[in-house]
Amino acid sequence: MKAQRGDSLNRIGTLQDDSTTVPPITDFRYHSSFSSSIKKQPASAFFFIPCVQAYRQKLIENLSLDSQGRPFKIMVFRGSPKSSRKSIRFVDELRQEVAAIFEKDCKQTPYRCIPKGEKRVLDAPRLRNDYYSNIMSWGMNNMLAVALGHELYLWNSEDQAVHKLLQVRGGNDWPTSVTWSEDARTLAVGYMCSNLQLWDVESSKLIRSLQGHSGRIASTAWNGHILTSGSRDKSIINHDVRAANSLASCIKRHADEVCGLKWSTEGNRLASGGNENLLYIWEASKMSSSKFLHRLSDHCAAVKALAWCPYQNNVLASGGGLSDGCIKIWNTEKGICINNIETKAQICGLEWNRHHKEILSGHGYSIRENQNKLCLWRYPSMTKVGELGNHKSRIINLCQSPDGITVISAGADETLRFWDVFGPPTAGAGNSMVSDLQGLLSFRTSLLR
Amino acid sequence: MASRTVAKDIITLRGSAAIVSEFFGYAANSILYNRGVYPEESFAKVKKYGLPMLLTQDEGVKSFITNLTAQLSENEIVGKEWLEAGKLQRVVMVIMSKATKEVLERWNFSIETDSDVVEKGVSREKSDREIMREIQAIMRQIASSITYLPCLDEPCVFDVLAYTDTDVPVPFTWIESDPKLIANPQMVKLHSFDTKIHKVDTLVSYKNDEWDEQ
Repeated sequence: MKAQRGDSLNRIGTLQDDSTTVPPITDFRYHSSFSSSIKKQPASAFFFIPCVQAYRQKLIENLSLDSQGRPFKIMVFRGSPKSSRKSIRFVDELRQEVAAIFEKDCKQTPYRCIPKGEKRVLDAPRLRNDYYSNIMSWGMNNMLAVALGHELYLWNSEDQAVHKLLQVRGGNDWPTSVTWSEDARTLAVGYMCSNLQLWDVESSKLIRSLQGHSGRIASTAWNGHILTSGSRDKSIINHDVRAANSLASCIKRHADEVCGLKWSTEGNRLASGGNENLLYIWEASKMSSSKFLHRLSDHCAAVKALAWCPYQNNVLASGGGLSDGCIKIWNTEKGICINNIETKAQICGLEWNRHHKEILSGHGYSIRENQNKLCLWRYPSMTKVGELGNHKSRIINLCQSPDGITVISAGADETLRFWDVFGPPTAGAGNSMVSDLQGLLSFRTSLLR
Repeated sequence: MASRTVAKDIITLRGSAAIVSEFFGYAANSILYNRGVYPEESFAKVKKYGLPMLLTQDEGVKSFITNLTAQLSENEIVGKEWLEAGKLQRVVMVIMSKATKEVLERWNFSIETDSDVVEKGVSREKSDREIMREIQAIMRQIASSITYLPCLDEPCVFDVLAYTDTDVPVPFTWIESDPKLIANPQMVKLHSFDTKIHKVDTLVSYKNDEWDEQ
């Protein structure tokens, strides 16, 4: 086309981007702009010679003609800065960022083996076969607290010593939720009859009993000195455990039992999953007004499994129950689902691998696949890396060790199985977030070996 | 926006310049929306040319395009703005890959000005409705261009070039540039519109999609 040909002959004007290749010196057509091209090619000094200059001027005039024979010049608008935007397509940018970090990470980590068998199996008699309870927690003090029936045991992962912390008298009450505080000094225990207790484990003493709920407390989560509890009475209560009147805020948004509660790693956001299939994201500062940040209704079953991504701010993974079976990855900044995997099985727990970009899902019932299994997924591609599991019946809970290497699955077959699935631990070279976490942990090497 | 006397569709040079620069503003927004240069949610719908047109709400982009169209049609420090002086030959919107700065698409709007009008100050007649219909056709074509233009999967940025007569001094908001061409492009000519004073031709050239190679 005419216009095209005209254009290619008229490649003059100052070159704005260094990437444009400049043809060799002898090609007079292109070296018509003295001012800036001179700066780039010192060899073109000979153009300063007056007679050549006149010739070049003539050339410029004749060459800058468009298809109609009119001379022209080209300019680009630089009137005002365009980018007040952060993203073009936020999802794509997010994916790209993650892919870039992942690529970097990929080159550094050697090929890993997923263990075929469990490292250890502990007997867990009378472990209640209840999907909604969260009866296991592994504290920073390397103690695993697990509620078996009416009793609560502490298992020391260093010396495998077992210690019974408490036993509930009376047939109608039992612990339904167990969580260590972040510093592992206090253990929060939620009960069937709606009681919430704080235990000091050093002295094996009950410190406080917190009131507020009218139904069983199936989920609890700590955020510093705030203890958040979710109950069958559909409410979420934030307790400030330092204050005499502990009740900081009470949120009544869910339409059914609150079975999943997780605070983000920075402690600014809370994710709550309910039995009515909704997932709410809350801002820590706005909790007292019951104003949620996002209300996500993509799941078709109870949302119990929740886990915040350790290497990306504000990314949350949620897993749905039996009729859903989907792991959804959310950008909680914008409230959009950035990935969705159908596992076709009830998801009872999700754990992120801090050492490698992976996420582990624990499964219960399924009519098709992944029944009673643990599935490992690469992040962010969400391709299945492998599956493990020897549970004879469904998995109820998952938790991971403080050093992030071992995952325990509690099954309805009354066993606790330990899987060293997240190792080997990275030196923390690539991802600063991971190495920060490792720095925080006082138990760097796993003592279970 | 064309200044008209009652009952007659008279178009003056100023009116025509306004139509063209306004067209360019909407076309730029439409291209940014349809090609996905900016996220869909950052656009809002307005009614224009009898169509729902999308305008960006992003402050940076909004002011960029406003300043740009003002340059094309209104009186600037330059003295006589380009469209009214008939000095603007074309406006090109270039879409480049953010990462590599490779030019992926070029939306070329060539402008032919009736020199009689510029020199003698005469006015022409054309119905507003007619012009709007022509512009509408172009806007529709821009929107439907996504059916044949290759997908822009990566984040992109855009630039606007102006081809002017050589005697036009470069205003301080512009700098001289290279044409930012595409090597071996595919080209599609779209409809044009004519105000009888300015005739605007639209052409889109794009980088050949690898998949299309036979």
